[in-house]
Amino acid sequence: MIDFHTHPVMIKELVNSDADLDRSIHEVFGFHFPAQPLECFLLEMDEAGVETAVLLPLDCTTAHACRIVSNEQVTELVEKTPRFVGFCSVDPNQPDAPVEVERAVHHLGLRGLKLDPSLQCFDPASQECAYPLYQACAELDIPVLLHCGMSWAPSGLAELAQPLRLEKAIQAFPTVNFILAHFAWPWVQEATMLAVKYPNVFLDTAILYSGTPRDALTRVLARQVGLDTVECSLYNKIVFGTNYPRVDMRRFVRGLQGLGLSPTTEQAILSGNASRILKLTRQP
Amino acid sequence: MKSILHRVKIQTRHETELINITGHVLELVKASGIKNGTVFVLSLHTTTAITVNEGLPDLEKDIANLIGKLVPENAIYNHARYLPSDGQMAINAPSHLRGALLGFQVFFPLEDGKMVTGSRQTIYFVELDGPQYRTYVVQILGE
Repeated sequence: MIDFHTHPVMIKELVNSDADLDRSIHEVFGFHFPAQPLECFLLEMDEAGVETAVLLPLDCTTAHACRIVSNEQVTELVEKTPRFVGFCSVDPNQPDAPVEVERAVHHLGLRGLKLDPSLQCFDPASQECAYPLYQACAELDIPVLLHCGMSWAPSGLAELAQPLRLEKAIQAFPTVNFILAHFAWPWVQEATMLAVKYPNVFLDTAILYSGTPRDALTRVLARQVGLDTVECSLYNKIVFGTNYPRVDMRRFVRGLQGLGLSPTTEQAILSGNASRILKLTRQP
Repeated sequence: MKSILHRVKIQTRHETELINITGHVLELVKASGIKNGTVFVLSLHTTTAITVNEGLPDLEKDIANLIGKLVPENAIYNHARYLPSDGQMAINAPSHLRGALLGFQVFFPLEDGKMVTGSRQTIYFVELDGPQYRTYVVQILGE
């Protein structure tokens, strides 16, 4: 299994060595659970049956004067274990952002771009600040994962994360794989439309706004989208993501496995689709 | 009267796990030098437990299975929502309720430098929402 949506914000080794990171995790990201040793992250993956986790940092330099885990820190973690795949983040409001993406890929070995319009305070449809980043993704042949829908971060504005804002960019950059996080809840139907229509749009399952993972996944995937639609039209467009540590992986895996999907679709969601997007040679 | 308090860190490795801590508690009691009094063992977490039972692997499995049946994962719980004070989804009601059933502390008398226990009694730290880095407390109180 591959968890395509994790935040390395609860790792004691990082937090204890970086007071600014500790502050930004609390004040900007709105995460307050005590940090745990890195070993806990890996044991959580073991217990959930997750082989590989994608680590997502966030560069909020302009919006909040901080980085919620830097690209260099992600690389540090990736170097500790082959079970991590690192994404980079850059500040779209900085003019050198596309160069930073290139540096992160070529020099830090990171394999995708994470953007969060809500928390980074930028318009993902902007030709001035967002398009150059999509262009960099096209040239570097890496995917971009965008936060979509509601943000749990205290200052995160959902209006910047409406999935339809992305449609023109999705058309303009057909070779870039866009992963829309959280199924863009509450704009599930709009996100589903984009994923059904465009070959370069994918959705992650990190949907959780109330109830247990089983409740939320059933409500959204089975009732709102429909398992028939998932099986027929989205089987190759959904990647498994938990939003760990805002949600525990173990219960999320069980919630997904309890949906009653066909074995082929379940396998595709839990690892096959992510493996293809990330160009992983080994199959987790 | 003396009071010696130890905060013991423990890395749990599984979602539900009974960890025998008897040997470590006995070592702390011995090192304390206190001969007569009381030994308290308590967990600092609400999704763990401290319990005593016979130290057999089959009973450990039975206890884990029983609490899983008594508090099933997929029942309807109110504790299933976003918790702003943690910045996390609070979706571990079964872990809390299993902890409430087993209890969070045990104590034993201390007599002539020895902890008074039944010959088969084993002290367990019980993880109910692991893996996590946990703390339990051993307080030796006496003279």
